[in-house]
Amino acid sequence: MLPTTDRFKKGAKETLADPVIQMSMEAVYNGFHTKRQSAGADTEGWEDQRDRGRAIKEHTIENLDYYLEMLTDNVDANGGNVFFANDSAAATEYILNLASDRDVKTVIKSKSMVSEEMSLAHEMEAVGIEAVETDLGEYIIQLAGEAPYHIIAPAIHKSQDQVAEMFKQTTGIDPGDTPEELTTTARGMLRETFQRADMSVTGVNFAVAESGSIVLVTNEGNGRMCTSIPRVHVAVMGMEKIVPSMQDLGVMLRILIRSATGQRISSYVTMVNGPRRDEEEDGPEEFHLVIVDNGRMKLLADEKLREALYCLRCGACLNACPVYRKVGGHSYGWVYPGPIGAVVSPVLSGLKQASDLPFASSLCGACREVCPVRIDIPNMLLHLRQQVVEGPPEVRSVGRMERLGWKAWRFGNIKSGRFRRGGKLANRLGRPFARGGMFKRLPPPLSGWTRSRDMPLPAASPFRDRFKKRLAQSSQDSQSSEGES
Amino acid sequence: MAITGRDAFLGRVRGALGKSPSAPAPDDATHLGLTPDDVRSAADGVRREMSEQADVLLDAVADSAATAGWKVRRVASPEDAADVVAEICYDAGATKILRSDQEVFNAVPVDAALQALGVTPGIATVGQAGTDVPALKQATFDSDVGITGVDYAIAETGTVVLHPRQGLSRLVSLAPGRHIAILTRGDVLPSLDELFTLERADYNEGAIAGSMNLISGPSRTGDIAATIVDGIHGPFEVHLVIIG
Repeated sequence: MLPTTDRFKKGAKETLADPVIQMSMEAVYNGFHTKRQSAGADTEGWEDQRDRGRAIKEHTIENLDYYLEMLTDNVDANGGNVFFANDSAAATEYILNLASDRDVKTVIKSKSMVSEEMSLAHEMEAVGIEAVETDLGEYIIQLAGEAPYHIIAPAIHKSQDQVAEMFKQTTGIDPGDTPEELTTTARGMLRETFQRADMSVTGVNFAVAESGSIVLVTNEGNGRMCTSIPRVHVAVMGMEKIVPSMQDLGVMLRILIRSATGQRISSYVTMVNGPRRDEEEDGPEEFHLVIVDNGRMKLLADEKLREALYCLRCGACLNACPVYRKVGGHSYGWVYPGPIGAVVSPVLSGLKQASDLPFASSLCGACREVCPVRIDIPNMLLHLRQQVVEGPPEVRSVGRMERLGWKAWRFGNIKSGRFRRGGKLANRLGRPFARGGMFKRLPPPLSGWTRSRDMPLPAASPFRDRFKKRLAQSSQDSQSSEGES
Repeated sequence: MAITGRDAFLGRVRGALGKSPSAPAPDDATHLGLTPDDVRSAADGVRREMSEQADVLLDAVADSAATAGWKVRRVASPEDAADVVAEICYDAGATKILRSDQEVFNAVPVDAALQALGVTPGIATVGQAGTDVPALKQATFDSDVGITGVDYAIAETGTVVLHPRQGLSRLVSLAPGRHIAILTRGDVLPSLDELFTLERADYNEGAIAGSMNLISGPSRTGDIAATIVDGIHGPFEVHLVIIG
């Protein structure tokens, strides 16, 4: 999708004023975050499992070329096809050509963040292929023509009334209004679509290098439908989604699912080892794996950002983040919202345009604390902030005036004499505008400060002067008291 | 089949990492360093544990499966299991019932128990008279109940593991509104880790299925108003009948 990452401030302001969304975001914390915390506490050796998971990711990413080669050799040996795509355009082209070549009319999609990067459903519709998102949340936002609001709960911002209205418009009948009735309505609509689908596109939660397998994690069962019904199954993955061995899956599934929803395991975990075997009753006849870079190489090349590729897309950092919970998912302006989005979106979609995102954090560290593989998100945000301010011209996005402002600030503060005199001057100039020793409103660029809090008037007599006076006073006092004794 | 665009892509990965093509040093973090012999003997150990700890594991999976959302029934004999299956179908008012063609049905007389109620279950295979893959798909979507065995169950998570193969369609446990799985003693694994040890051993011996499904409760969604609702795409009700 096209990034609107430059709209962060505007989007955040709109979301803060939207009571429906503010209410629904409560569920992010009270539901997901609380459940994740108790799932961690209930899991034996939870912290060790996280360390183990991190070590597996670190080892795999440091040897990514080796494991990509092993993975794709084995997919090939299993009878699957592999396509390496440098960007989303190349991946989209491959899939559209395949669909046209195989005379595909209807594509069912299971949740895939990479395909969101590609706007794949949209691209398919544009060439006349019916492409239906089958994860219920994704289905809802597809009907609404929106981007996902949350990595694992794409339609978390929609109220049940809004969903009912959309279903009514789609079906022309009364879809009911409780979550149960609405789910039953969606079940009917989507089961009909599943049955006539001739191709599926799914994401990949893990790809196993040694066996050429891919693993899908879902609760709804749409991942299973996608790997059971159509003739052709296409799995799309970011190049980082590899684990070396099947035996590494136990720990990875455990930390992913418990961090995502707090469940011990999701309703379904599906492992696919290529197309159906000849003697099997059903299943896709063709399997294609599309491995996508789309900017990830930049994360890989930067040692300070490389660990962003450890991300399992569990969404725990979103739920823990006090900023995400207020500004919502769409403000971030691209596929990945929240703390991990503030790192990944600028790098994948362009830092210059997304220069507000690294600043959309209080650096409180809650994201790092809940991350199943302990990604140091605050540190990476600091690194990106530095790039925004001091980086080469193609990424730097601080304006001339702002740089000039900071230069003036530096000039005024670097010598103690200037600092003192400046304070006194500000006091004298500002006094007529202050009320009770406070500025209620300041002109730009200082207006950002006074929008939500008052700014104190600099003291008439600086602390250093008063302290000096006080010292002189007390030494006089002690001398005089000594004199008395 | 075919691999497209790999060399250039791997070249860029190596460039980004600043390394030349080389195998990684052995690492404790992953299991890749284990030899096939290591894996085989680990798998033998798992199988021993499954049989030696069978009763403990059966109790554990009965608990964890109930937590995961299975309706669990424990019975003493295969005949009782067949009766329970028939009872579930009767209570559900099911008229269209499908079962897989798995060994478990040689021991558990499900067909006879259902016929006593006046229903003959269909067999969900392409080989059955006159069916092909689309017809099989249609039959599974039209059925009220799908009945299968269990390849393994997992005590840690309350999971039923199925490997689709000849006789066991991918859809028979997914498309009908209700799924009944019949578990026998000795097929329960302690945790996910033991499952993947066995899978890896099978893979090393060239005996792995085209796919594997881990099923842990009904099909679920929380996507409308963050309310958990059972039965979005797959079964809204799942039953685990445990013999022993």
